[in-house]
Amino acid sequence: MTTLAPVMPKRQMQRTQRARPLLAVMAWEARRLRASRASWISALVAFCLFLFAIWIARAPIQMGFGNAAGSFSASVAGTSAWGLIVIFPSFLLFPLAIVLPFISADGVGRDLKRRAHELLMTTALPTWAYVWGRYLVVLLLSLGLAVALLAAILAMGLLIHLTEPDYPAPQIGAVVAIWAMMTLPTVILLSGLSFALGTLLPQRANLVKIGMIVFWFLCAVALPVLPTGGQQLPSWYLTWEPTNTGMAATLGNHYAQAYQPSFSVGASSSDPFAGLAQVEQRMPDLWPWLAPHLFWSGLGLALVAVAAIAFKRFRHVPNQS
Amino acid sequence: MELTIENLGRRYGNQWALRQLSLRCGPGMLGLVGPNGAGKTTLMRMLVTLLEPTEGTIRWDGQDTRAHGEALREALGYLPQEFGIYREFTGRQFLRYLAAMKGLPKDLAKRRVDEVLELVNLERVADRKLTTYSGGAKQRLGIAQALLNDPELLIVDEPTAGLDPAERVRFRTLLASLTTNRIVMLSTHIIGDVEAVASRLVILQEGRMLADTTPEAILASTAGKVWSVTTDQATAMQLQATYQVSAMIHQPNGVLLRLISPGRPHEAATVVEPSLEDAYLLATGKQEVSA
Repeated sequence: MTTLAPVMPKRQMQRTQRARPLLAVMAWEARRLRASRASWISALVAFCLFLFAIWIARAPIQMGFGNAAGSFSASVAGTSAWGLIVIFPSFLLFPLAIVLPFISADGVGRDLKRRAHELLMTTALPTWAYVWGRYLVVLLLSLGLAVALLAAILAMGLLIHLTEPDYPAPQIGAVVAIWAMMTLPTVILLSGLSFALGTLLPQRANLVKIGMIVFWFLCAVALPVLPTGGQQLPSWYLTWEPTNTGMAATLGNHYAQAYQPSFSVGASSSDPFAGLAQVEQRMPDLWPWLAPHLFWSGLGLALVAVAAIAFKRFRHVPNQS
Repeated sequence: MELTIENLGRRYGNQWALRQLSLRCGPGMLGLVGPNGAGKTTLMRMLVTLLEPTEGTIRWDGQDTRAHGEALREALGYLPQEFGIYREFTGRQFLRYLAAMKGLPKDLAKRRVDEVLELVNLERVADRKLTTYSGGAKQRLGIAQALLNDPELLIVDEPTAGLDPAERVRFRTLLASLTTNRIVMLSTHIIGDVEAVASRLVILQEGRMLADTTPEAILASTAGKVWSVTTDQATAMQLQATYQVSAMIHQPNGVLLRLISPGRPHEAATVVEPSLEDAYLLATGKQEVSA
């Protein structure tokens, strides 16, 4: 007759079970993702898409002027500080905002769909460790994508600089500062919001994903181009809206005011766009947006905390294998 | 080690899936049988803390599982009727993953996974991706994961569904070998599985407990009520309409019927030894008639 050797005394087992459940969840979820070929292919595709988006947006603002001395043209480099401020919300963050709900919303719901939920929820794994462990891996994955975006900006900026002599090399300090201020809070907010809603409403995870994308589209793309009857968007909105569109509009205006091309006819021999390179690489003042961005990041994490508290181990499992 | 169920009930909308069930279980194997929709899976899911009871209590070692679910889960091994796998993992990785979720330290988990793989005879395919596993291999993997933490309470829901006869026998033998010093609860609608291994039998029907008995006792109560008769086709049809039939075999000399009836159903009928399946049919059939 087959017998099982006892595992360990029960009390010792109980102590062990509470030792590092969060790390166990994170380590194994990361291992699962690493073992999946789809994860690596998705990351590569995302990196290539980011490269493509930056290449498309390499000259987001173009200026031209003609006089007796000839015609002059110039453009703001997409990977300069000014250029990044302009292209980030719609060219770079919006694609990221489309991808993030798909990464995050199924962090817990996937188990329910696969019916692995019953095996996990009948173990002694604490609920908080399960939910937070899954979220932190989702967050790391999302941050990985954000880092891929940063790498794509620097790589494509350098590549264009090497192939087009007039194109300025990206200034690492400014690029990293703008990337950190615009991308990191977005990642934490979107991943937290998508994860929390997907965890609490796992049967409606697809609706959550679509809802997140529509919300982001409305705030980042549709709202800024809506006719406002000559009225500007209120300043509080420009500071507090989470998609960085307001920040881009405000800082874009600052750059435009800082750079005044010399269009005097008398200066026929000089390039009216001289000095653009200096202005476009200038580090923007990002401090006014720090508090709102911290708030949105905190909200993302707070929503995950709510999901961890409200998560039910008791759940009806859909009839699918 | 004691599992106590008191007046347990679960309602879906206005429909009670299970009602007023009370049981007290100590070490040994309890077979839970009943037709489809009897409430077996509902009961199992409440026991393993996957479903909240509408009424009543479940206590593990005296602690209410609603408030102290973790105490039960620490002692629990559960094989659901259907379970999902992580396609990215091999069998060994999947077990190590669940061992980690059950809180086993790394070294112990490694050793334990090897032990349970050997126990369920999956060592040869342990390093293959789970997508390549057959239904039987997947089911054996399911019982392996349930045994990882050497559970005091092992609950298996329809474990032999989808297994071929040889695998089913092997599985039953494995379950029988695990009953020492633990409570094993086996839910099935295949009476043969229970007959082979369970020392206690609980019959559920339409959400209520019909019987809490032993296989010997229910067989004894059925003695003298199972009959065998060989007759022509027309008579066989008449008997089938009147009595419960547990077997019907067409033979060259007529139709061999196995009938369940308190009295002699036909002048040529002879009493035969009842099987647990006959006893089960008698118990559940009575209920159907009275309803």
